[in-house]
Amino acid sequence: MRKALLAGAVFAVCPLAAHAQAETYKVDPVHSFPNFTVDHFGVSSIYGRFDKMSGSFSIDRAAKKGSVELTIETASVTTGDNDKGSRPRSRDEHLRQADFFNVAEFPRMSYKSTNVKFSGDNPSEVEGQLTLLGVTKPVNIKIDRWVCREHPMSKRAMCGGNASGSFKRSDFGMKYGVPNLGDEIRLMINFEGYKE
Amino acid sequence: MQELLTNPVIQSSAAPFLVGLVVACILFPIRLAGLAAGAGFLAAVWMIGAFGLAPLTATRKLVVLAAAAPLLGVLADLAFKPTRVTAPVLGVLFGAGAIWVFWSVLSQKPAAEGALLGAGIAALVLWTVAFTVSLQDRAVRAGAAGLFLGLGTGAGAVLGASALLGQYGLALGAACGAFLLLAMILGKRVVAGATFTLTAAVAATLIAAGALVLAKLPWISLAALALVPLAVRLPLPEKLPAWIQAIVASLYALVPAAGACALAWQSSRTA
Repeated sequence: MRKALLAGAVFAVCPLAAHAQAETYKVDPVHSFPNFTVDHFGVSSIYGRFDKMSGSFSIDRAAKKGSVELTIETASVTTGDNDKGSRPRSRDEHLRQADFFNVAEFPRMSYKSTNVKFSGDNPSEVEGQLTLLGVTKPVNIKIDRWVCREHPMSKRAMCGGNASGSFKRSDFGMKYGVPNLGDEIRLMINFEGYKE
Repeated sequence: MQELLTNPVIQSSAAPFLVGLVVACILFPIRLAGLAAGAGFLAAVWMIGAFGLAPLTATRKLVVLAAAAPLLGVLADLAFKPTRVTAPVLGVLFGAGAIWVFWSVLSQKPAAEGALLGAGIAALVLWTVAFTVSLQDRAVRAGAAGLFLGLGTGAGAVLGASALLGQYGLALGAACGAFLLLAMILGKRVVAGATFTLTAAVAATLIAAGALVLAKLPWISLAALALVPLAVRLPLPEKLPAWIQAIVASLYALVPAAGACALAWQSSRTA
């Protein structure tokens, strides 16, 4: 009888223990930005970023599993040229129109992981699906830096780092200006999240 | 050669003009020279690389509806012998189609704003289609209207910050220009029909509406463009050769088209 009770207790506690190991972090919007760079006429690289990103990521170190879900407001794109001056439109304005991000029709793009690879205890690569302009395609993101610690002031548990990846914008139907304006988009994401 | 085909100027002017001219020359004996507008426009879409149905975005729906216009136009010309009612009926049909084209954008706006925008676009399409299709028996006037609906829309879209829609509009203008050239040379032997007028009106208004909804072309520019099919109704020197009539009709059409561009330019300076 005592053995049965013990076994029952073990079975009851085990799922809770496993559940406790999966930690979820909410993306900190003021310290998390998807940055990108694209070739300009084969001369230089233009850098830009999206100012508004939200979402969460989770990690289960014991099971070496994780997940990521991000939503990016496409209208928040900026490349540092937001003042049109004497021109009809600034570059950032043009980026928001139908030739590029088409924000009126597609106000958001999203990324959802399908698998997270680990190197030791830390996540090293995220395999996932990027949805941009209504097209969903696989895009993998390499995690170049991953740190978890206590916030020095608020004492809240936080994780974050830097990640990078690339994709061809024409795969998502954004063909304007290719090849003069580069087709390959290199992503550099800095992210931080607080444990929920 | 590849460099030539990817050149935006070739894509939106020389290529659609040549395609339109060839199609008009081949088909005018069977009263289908009007297919020049659709053929030139679709050739440009193909060269720009924007053919495709997935995902069915507003811009792609625009091309689908613009491609349906010449087919319906041929049907109207050959099978039904257009009557007075044809123009407004086609206007209502394509006005409803315009709602479908921009539904993905309209449905994301607050209900009142979306409804107002949708009703405005449908009314613009109805108006332009009705007044342009009723020019079906007057090839020179119809050609001039198509030329400047296309050019005005294209230039306006560029100023409204959409190069793609700008290219579409300019390509339509070039293709309509090819039809007008043939009408200038051959006069009344060239028939516009619903094939030409419906294509020119539907494609131009959808491109203009696209530049309004997806870019920043102001409403007032669209209103000015809607005057193009009215302007070409002004008196022409009917006894003079067709090429002189074409020039006069083009000058009439140029005024509202240029006005639409000027308003788009002014809006871009102040917005």
